[in-house]
Amino acid sequence: MTSAVRPFYVPAGTEEQVFKAAFRQGLSVMLKGPTGCGKTRFVEAMAYDLGRPLITVACHDDLTTADLVGRFLLHGGETQWADGPLTRAVRDGAICYLDEVVEARQDTTVVLHPLADHRRQLPIDRLGVTLTAAPGFCLVVSYNPGYQSVLKDLKDSTRQRMVAIEFGFPPPDVEEKIITTEAGVAQEAAAQLVRIGHAIRNAQTAGLREVASTRVLIAAGLLTAEGLRPQDAALAAIAGPLTDDPLVTAGLAELIGAYLDGEQA
Amino acid sequence: MTPASSPDAARRPTRFALLVSGIAGRTLDVAAVAPGERPWTDGTTVFVDAGASATDQIAALAVQASLIAAGSLEPRIVRRLSGRPALARRYLAVEGHRALAANSYLLPPRVRSLIDRDIAARADSPLASLATALGREPIASPPQAFGAIDPKRLRAARDRLQATAPTPEDARRPRHDARRELDEHAGSDDFGRVPEPFSGSTGGRGALGRLLQRMLALSREPGGGLQGAAAPRAARLVAGQARGTRLATGPAGALEAVAGVRRQGRTYPEWDIHRQRYRENWCTVRETDPRPRDPGPEVITGSPALRRPLARLALGLDRRHRQPQGDDLDIDAAVEERVEALAGVPPGEAVYIDSLRRRHDLAVLILLDISGSASMPSPSGQTVHDQQRAAAAALTTALHGLGNRVALYGFYSHGRSAVRLVRVKSFSDRLDATVMRRLGALVPGAYTRLGAAIRHGAAVLEDRGGTARRLLVVLSDGFAYDYGYEGSYAEADARRALAEARRRGTGCLCLSVGAGTEIAALRRVFGTAAHATVARPQELARVAGPLFREALRSAEFHRGLAQHSVHPRQQLKIPGR
Repeated sequence: MTSAVRPFYVPAGTEEQVFKAAFRQGLSVMLKGPTGCGKTRFVEAMAYDLGRPLITVACHDDLTTADLVGRFLLHGGETQWADGPLTRAVRDGAICYLDEVVEARQDTTVVLHPLADHRRQLPIDRLGVTLTAAPGFCLVVSYNPGYQSVLKDLKDSTRQRMVAIEFGFPPPDVEEKIITTEAGVAQEAAAQLVRIGHAIRNAQTAGLREVASTRVLIAAGLLTAEGLRPQDAALAAIAGPLTDDPLVTAGLAELIGAYLDGEQA
Repeated sequence: MTPASSPDAARRPTRFALLVSGIAGRTLDVAAVAPGERPWTDGTTVFVDAGASATDQIAALAVQASLIAAGSLEPRIVRRLSGRPALARRYLAVEGHRALAANSYLLPPRVRSLIDRDIAARADSPLASLATALGREPIASPPQAFGAIDPKRLRAARDRLQATAPTPEDARRPRHDARRELDEHAGSDDFGRVPEPFSGSTGGRGALGRLLQRMLALSREPGGGLQGAAAPRAARLVAGQARGTRLATGPAGALEAVAGVRRQGRTYPEWDIHRQRYRENWCTVRETDPRPRDPGPEVITGSPALRRPLARLALGLDRRHRQPQGDDLDIDAAVEERVEALAGVPPGEAVYIDSLRRRHDLAVLILLDISGSASMPSPSGQTVHDQQRAAAAALTTALHGLGNRVALYGFYSHGRSAVRLVRVKSFSDRLDATVMRRLGALVPGAYTRLGAAIRHGAAVLEDRGGTARRLLVVLSDGFAYDYGYEGSYAEADARRALAEARRRGTGCLCLSVGAGTEIAALRRVFGTAAHATVARPQELARVAGPLFREALRSAEFHRGLAQHSVHPRQQLKIPGR
């Protein structure tokens, strides 16, 4: 699963040192931050740096313990055990990344407890065995504190078994660099996009659930690199995904128009 | 000035609200200036010339937004500028450049060219700009785009903002007034006729008329059950209660029969926090039907947005046998499958046990507060009642559409012996236009004995809900007030009633829609029950899912503790905690 080149990630603070220290000490890591700010990319870069395979599980609200740990399947007349992704990571000493872990059912996250604390064990009751995590195993979960709800939250017993790294959107110069590299656009175009992103994040309007992430800015950059007019690219990649409300869309269009000056009517 | 002069919605300056909020870093609105005025702001709205080109409007907006963001319009500065237009102009000429320069990263490219770096360098804070403006040096007058600073209107707007911040006292006062005026009125009139303007449903004019109407709304329900022409009956009913007569405990039989009320009242205890004990049989609650012959306008429920967050709610986790995939092997199915395979029959592959959410297993009773306080205007323009009613309609439709059992009752009270629950939809009623019209006919009036209403709602849920999971939804502004029922006494009783329901395994959930009630006030009334306040019914979809789940979870927790005859299959449905 490890790629040949290091996934592009620019640190904004001490997150890389914290992660590597936690990894070496066998601690589990919790990544907190808004959507599209680089949590997944960060884990990929860390897996590359540490030379560990990365197993990613996108959590959803029907994710059961069996989905993570494994289950018996029937082949011909025989039952056959099939490891789940978590069990595979425990056996192989991989980094297991549970994306949006709050989405998983609460009874499911309990299976992580003995793994996340000092025991580093995974009991599999269906097999009647308890696996001890191989060296190099690291449990990483991510979640978005502002997303969806005030009440859907990680249990305290789960949270306190982890080291937390907070993510925010990168500072403007870093974000410009990220967009230039990822989207292959000129510095000036990237700077314009970043400015739009900042204005939207600044607006604190009730009409937007989430603000413009680095991810949508990169998408706008990629469309521009394809030869689209900057306005059209920004409308399609930034305004469209952020809202369905026609009034808010119109407001976003004016905002984008003001920053991508020149071709405005 | 309203944007009426530019009827084309797309050309209204409001479209720039998001941009200006982005530059200022706080939520601002945009409106058009009065003709001949220069762009200005009162701190919450920026006024620009709607007729100017988009570029000019953006420049003017960016300047005013930057002034707000840079703290240039702080009260202590504005106070100094009051009544000194020349000074205000000189201050703007310096501070405008400073504010723009300080905010230059967020400015649109064309606006950035407005900045005169030399002038901006002359001051490093609003106070320094003020000092420069107070000095004798010549200062070039500000560019046209800078608009103006209007100290007088800035201060007026700020005062207004402070004055209108709602307090619980504010919200309560009108009800006291209403009662007092009514008392006087009833006294002088001595059960006589109420003048014609008050009797019609829309005829009342003026403050007294509206207040009376709010109270007279009682007559729309058959609770009083007195006969005669509309106006005197309403007057008699209200007057009688205002004088403290226990109408509901009077010789009910014949009157109730006439009014079509089928059930006798039911009594409930009330929690007396001062003595730390219950007052047994203290409140009489009676269910009433809205009069079918004056149906109101049908309440339209537009958005299906609520369905999604509620769709997965309380679907029982069923252990399903013979599934094509699942967590565990279904041994019986596997053996059969083996036998079939050996017998030469093509084997099926459904040999797993899966936990699926399929069964809807939820009864919801929605209690809608239709006391007089709900007729208060909500910040968004409509009354709180309109907003709560829309929320009730949306919740009923969504939950019903998803296959849950739903009932909807309005509630109000007039003293402990006259707590009324108005049946809009019982569990067995079909959800149709009649129900929506009955909902539309509800008019807020009288008071809120929250505890008794909750106790009755919970009892109805237990008697007639018919499911293992029960949920009581209270839509209220959270102001519990009735005769001898206010302040900490009322709050403690409401909290107690919710806790009682939860202890018996009924989830409780309290929603305040559009009332602007502070969360601290809600917490006093609703305690640890799941509660939330939203500004508009449309925002319900955002909070509904987690809130409902939370309410159900707490109820299941209590049910598990109480060991309330949990059916073995239900134990399977309770997710681990």
